[in-house]
Amino acid sequence: MAADVPASPAPDPFVSPVAPGYLARQRQRVFRHAPHDADAVVLRHSRIYILPTRRGLAVIGTLAVMLLASLNYGLSLGFVVTFALSGLVAASLLHTFRNLAGIEVKPLSAGESFAGGRLAFALAIDGGIAPREAITLAAGDGESVRVDVSAGAVVPLSVERVAAQRGRLALGRLTLSSDFPLGLWRGWAYVHFPLAGVVFPAPEMGAPPLPAGAAGADAYSTARSDEADLAELREFRHGDPLSRIAWKAVARGQGWYSKQFEGSGGGGPVALDWAAMPAGLDTEARLSRLAAWVLAAEHAARAFALSIPGAALPPGQGREHRRAALTALALYNP
Amino acid sequence: MSADALTARRGRPPRARTSARATAQPLTLSQIRWVGAMLIAAQLPQAPYVPLWIALFGITLVGLRLWLARRDATRRTAAPARIPSWTLVLFAIAAAWFVRVSYGGHLAGREPSVAFLFILVGIKFLESRTRRDGTLLVCLASFLLITPFLSSQSPFAALMAVPAMLLLGGTLDALNRGAAPAPPWRRTLLRIGAMLLQGLPLAAMLFLMFPRLSAPLWGLPQDYAAQSGLSDTMAPGMISELSLSDAVAFRVDFDGPVPPASQRYWRGPVLTRFDGRVWSALLQRGSGEFTPDERGDYRYTVTLEPSNKPWLFALELPTRLPQLAGNTDDFTDPGRMVMLTPDRQLITRAAITQVTRYTQVSALRDHFPAASALDVRLAKLPARGNPRTRELALALRERHPEDRDYVAAVLAMFHDEAFVYTLTPPLLPTDPVDMFLFDERRGFCEHFASAFTVLLRDAGIPARVVTGYQGGEINPRGGYMIVRQSDAHAWSEALVDGEWQRFDPTAAVAPSRIERGMASALPAGEPVPLFARLDGGWLKSAQLTLDALNHAWRRDIVGFNDARQRDLWRDLNITARNAPWIMGLAALLVGGWGAALLALLAWRRRHVERTTALWHAACTRLAAAGLPRMPHEGPLDYARRASARWPQFAIAFAAIAESYAALRYGGAASRPAEHAALLATLARAVDVLPPPGALRTAV
Repeated sequence: MAADVPASPAPDPFVSPVAPGYLARQRQRVFRHAPHDADAVVLRHSRIYILPTRRGLAVIGTLAVMLLASLNYGLSLGFVVTFALSGLVAASLLHTFRNLAGIEVKPLSAGESFAGGRLAFALAIDGGIAPREAITLAAGDGESVRVDVSAGAVVPLSVERVAAQRGRLALGRLTLSSDFPLGLWRGWAYVHFPLAGVVFPAPEMGAPPLPAGAAGADAYSTARSDEADLAELREFRHGDPLSRIAWKAVARGQGWYSKQFEGSGGGGPVALDWAAMPAGLDTEARLSRLAAWVLAAEHAARAFALSIPGAALPPGQGREHRRAALTALALYNP
Repeated sequence: MSADALTARRGRPPRARTSARATAQPLTLSQIRWVGAMLIAAQLPQAPYVPLWIALFGITLVGLRLWLARRDATRRTAAPARIPSWTLVLFAIAAAWFVRVSYGGHLAGREPSVAFLFILVGIKFLESRTRRDGTLLVCLASFLLITPFLSSQSPFAALMAVPAMLLLGGTLDALNRGAAPAPPWRRTLLRIGAMLLQGLPLAAMLFLMFPRLSAPLWGLPQDYAAQSGLSDTMAPGMISELSLSDAVAFRVDFDGPVPPASQRYWRGPVLTRFDGRVWSALLQRGSGEFTPDERGDYRYTVTLEPSNKPWLFALELPTRLPQLAGNTDDFTDPGRMVMLTPDRQLITRAAITQVTRYTQVSALRDHFPAASALDVRLAKLPARGNPRTRELALALRERHPEDRDYVAAVLAMFHDEAFVYTLTPPLLPTDPVDMFLFDERRGFCEHFASAFTVLLRDAGIPARVVTGYQGGEINPRGGYMIVRQSDAHAWSEALVDGEWQRFDPTAAVAPSRIERGMASALPAGEPVPLFARLDGGWLKSAQLTLDALNHAWRRDIVGFNDARQRDLWRDLNITARNAPWIMGLAALLVGGWGAALLALLAWRRRHVERTTALWHAACTRLAAAGLPRMPHEGPLDYARRASARWPQFAIAFAAIAESYAALRYGGAASRPAEHAALLATLARAVDVLPPPGALRTAV
């Protein structure tokens, strides 16, 4: 199955590329190119396609040869065996269909990832009262997951896609397939949810240290803040990073203290500003560096503010803030 | 051995999460076992029909691979045993040599090919590494399934194909499971058996409706083994030897009355030429004429066993050409054209190589007008040798100048003098007629017929020998007649008073042979075959029952050919003109089958999965009331959450969750009583839950 959704920066998956019209509607009905399956989808006969596998073709070819031999030699029992095996092949087709029909696929959520990583999409398969065997789920780029769903169970699973570029990454068209029970037929169905995750820009490796905080002056100091001189120990407060705990003091039994440093940079919230970066950097490099700084600020437990063209975040700290910042970087669109 | 296979062997086994395009998937031990079992099951029915050495060789190769696979599995650390490719080449050469030697230098042809295939599956199995090889073996084995039918289409042969078919499906199932743990083999076989049964209606439909050929697409090679039966020559001792056989020559279903035993002369090859020892048939041009008969005709259907000879047998005398079952007036089957020779013998153009059924009408007559002058001339050819017989004939002829008197005198001689009817006649090395008439005086029907005919010819009366069968036994189980090789008989025909008349010298010697069969006419101690005896006891009775089944099998299954199929269609008023109608009917039937099967599957699931259905109903109800089950949540956790929300139903929730968990995971299925009790608890507890609307508003 070819990747039908280009990786990224993707066209907005929530906008249908399908023009209204009979042909387009039929194409959508057959191929599900557009993500129109808004909610859970129950696989019905109109969605399920079945064709013989290579093994199936080999077996059908053999049956044809057996039929020819039976015809030529007038072997009635040859006909009996050939047709009995044909019956088996035909029954297995219906079993393949039964195995897929009635499955409910539910979109749960899309994850997030940095570019170059893998983005996981959470889905669930509800088999209903029938056990479902050897169901394969494949997303656009051929990554596939194979599951067995026992009767009455709802199986959560995650489908991963390679996050090549920053931006929004749609799950794309999912293919549910199964060649249960004998591997002679492959049944499949397309499901296309409007599920898309965010791919953050890959953080720059070896990025320059964080700019100085608003309280200090020397914005481009070479010293990293945690290599700066130890200024004082103060009582540990909830929320202080674990890396700053004065373990020696703890070991001596003197209580819990956090180390406070005094570098050449200033304290207080860091301003991560697009405009303040060197002019020679191109857009993606700027985004990468900003992403690296967001991580560094988070790591150093320092509040930061972000301002890029079209988006600005007030100073803040914590997971949500970080996420908002990275998302803004990911979706930056000049 | 492909490079693919080798790398696959070294590669890691596929994980639970695999890429869809894993190219070469290695066979697991369990898959190898399935393939091996399938191959042996496919080889066994064929084994009796290939030479013993080939059978042993082919099966041993399969066994060898199974053994190697087992050894590999037990010592996991060692490198897997691999058969070097030169060994495989050696095996292939050995196989070719075996086949060549066993079939007298032939490698091509049907039987050598089957024998080669028999070994080939073993060689291929030895080098099989991947699942693709497994698929190829499944295909080869399926073909091997129908090859035994070239030799035998008995019910037993059909039965032998059943295990192989089950294992074939099981192997496909195992190959498709990949490296996942395989379920118990019994369950797999049961599943495949169920699927075969589900496919059976479709198979029956195809069997009845699939068009058959009236003539083969390519030539049928001659069989190596000659079937026993009458031949177109007759030497002293040949028929008595044939009479030692219990084998069935043909079976007859009569439409209406059965002719009396003494009148059941089944006419076969007519022998005109005599060289002093051996009688043989003369090929004659032209065709004979039918004699219309005013007396009641007998209508019957003969089911002829393959004889590899072109003869059809009919009661004397046939009044029209036989109709091969299904032949209508507007259809003449070129491959099976039947004609009547001037000496009133029915022959087909092609030898009878499969079970053949034909309808025939006969009038019981022992005389008919001579057809041509040539016929008469040929029947007068003087016999060479046997001088004493000639003297006797001349002496008798002087006393009886009238043909009729002369014949009567010869018959009287056989009757009055001390001739003995025996199944073990002495050898007659020179001038056999002389030795029989004057020295030994012990013989079987062919001796009497031969001597009688020679005596007539020596007196100038045209005469010839007719061979065939006389008698036949009604099988009380099926109401049809069995004619066995032990009923083989020879009699004479002479031109007296301008007509060919039947004379049976054996009847003059041993009248009860004609009335009640061979066994009644032979003295005690003769080696009469079991089923020709008058008192076969329970064994014969059992055999007759078996034969009735066999006859039905032959008539309805094996004998279902293009002709029978046309009969069926004619009965249904379907002709070639309404082919679209046939297609429509076929499509309708196939569609009906599919719909019925799907309905059956759905129904059975609903029936079997009652536990699941109840649980599902409870979950759906709670979900509708606003408390859906989380995908990761087990039944007990869910029940706890539900109890927190609706404490008044806590007991019901706990009962549902616990009984469901016990039913699904507790192994209660093996204890029926406990299973039923749990299921009842579950059902009652689910029943107690109010509908979603009431739940939502409940506090």
